[in-house]
Amino acid sequence: MTRTEIRVGGLGGQGIILCGSIIGKAASIYAGKHAAMIQAFGPEARGSACSAQVIVSDEAIGYPYVRRPDILVLMSQDACTQFAPQLKPDGLVLFEEELVQTAGLLPPAARSLGIPATRFAEEIGRRLVLNIVMVGFFAGATGILPHEAVEKAVLDSVPKGTESLNLRALGRGYDFGRALLA
Amino acid sequence: MDASELPCIAHLRNGKGATLALAEAGDGALLLKFYRSMPEEDRLALTDDVTTADWLDRFLAKLGSGEAISVVGKIGGEIRGEATLHRTLHGWSRHVGELRLNVDRAARGQGLGLELARHIVKIAIDRGIDKLVAHMVDSQMAAKRTFEKLGFHKEAELPGHVTDIHGKRLDLLIYANDVSHVWAAMESLLGDFRPDRATR
Repeated sequence: MTRTEIRVGGLGGQGIILCGSIIGKAASIYAGKHAAMIQAFGPEARGSACSAQVIVSDEAIGYPYVRRPDILVLMSQDACTQFAPQLKPDGLVLFEEELVQTAGLLPPAARSLGIPATRFAEEIGRRLVLNIVMVGFFAGATGILPHEAVEKAVLDSVPKGTESLNLRALGRGYDFGRALLA
Repeated sequence: MDASELPCIAHLRNGKGATLALAEAGDGALLLKFYRSMPEEDRLALTDDVTTADWLDRFLAKLGSGEAISVVGKIGGEIRGEATLHRTLHGWSRHVGELRLNVDRAARGQGLGLELARHIVKIAIDRGIDKLVAHMVDSQMAAKRTFEKLGFHKEAELPGHVTDIHGKRLDLLIYANDVSHVWAAMESLLGDFRPDRATR
């Protein structure tokens, strides 16, 4: 049984929950896997700590909470400080490198990959799509989900009229992640 | 409208098809031919003298830098219409894009202008533009109708702001379309997203 525990962390307004939802949707609806998501955010809609727990598994999920994440997707320093100690010893951290510093916070055997996702999103045309760049980076750097499944999940999740730019954001993150693995 | 969706075929009212494509440097000669064949009265109130090689050089440079994105409509291998998005990449108006649209007289009334305008508006939204404007003079009735169909409205009128190529002063009409609502939906989605309330 392959079970991957993922925690997405950042601030309200960054699209953390949507990021987790797209990953879960891609896995469960478009990639034939099982997924579960738990979301948590502070009392304010924007600017407060926010996180999503996502489980992706080949089999039915009996316990939906993340205990020791295999993968952290981080978009704020607070999220890194809070969640890095929970990471599995050989876990993977994917982080927005202009917002997060991981030095000294990760287990020694953990791998970490950074991406200038905010800059990419601004270059594409909208800072708002930072989270979609991170979804693409997740898909490209982990290979857990097929690109096609993630693309369908993005198209199914974003508002009408924004699809094309969101797909460019997804592709930018995905390509960056693949290139890091090459 | 992603640029990757072009080229495409636009079906015109006369039953013919027009190929719509992003303008490239290789279209320069055809563009110049298109504008030079345009009667003088159609060029009276254009922002630039589009019949000169200097204009073409500046235009192609803007295409290269991304300050301009142009969609051309070709029928029988010749350009019969052109729509351009002009934008500044920096500064306080970087969220604003200006649209310019020109259609050959022989191709008017067939829906080519509307198709070109529709595509360039979608490209503008896709590039993150929040507000679109189009400048025209009062006599450009077809242009006004085309942009109104796409949600534009008259936002301002500047008396005597345009000098046509004969030196006559004309009033400038500024038509505008605020398309930021498209992205307001995305912003709302990010701020307070609950999968169980997702609409799509």
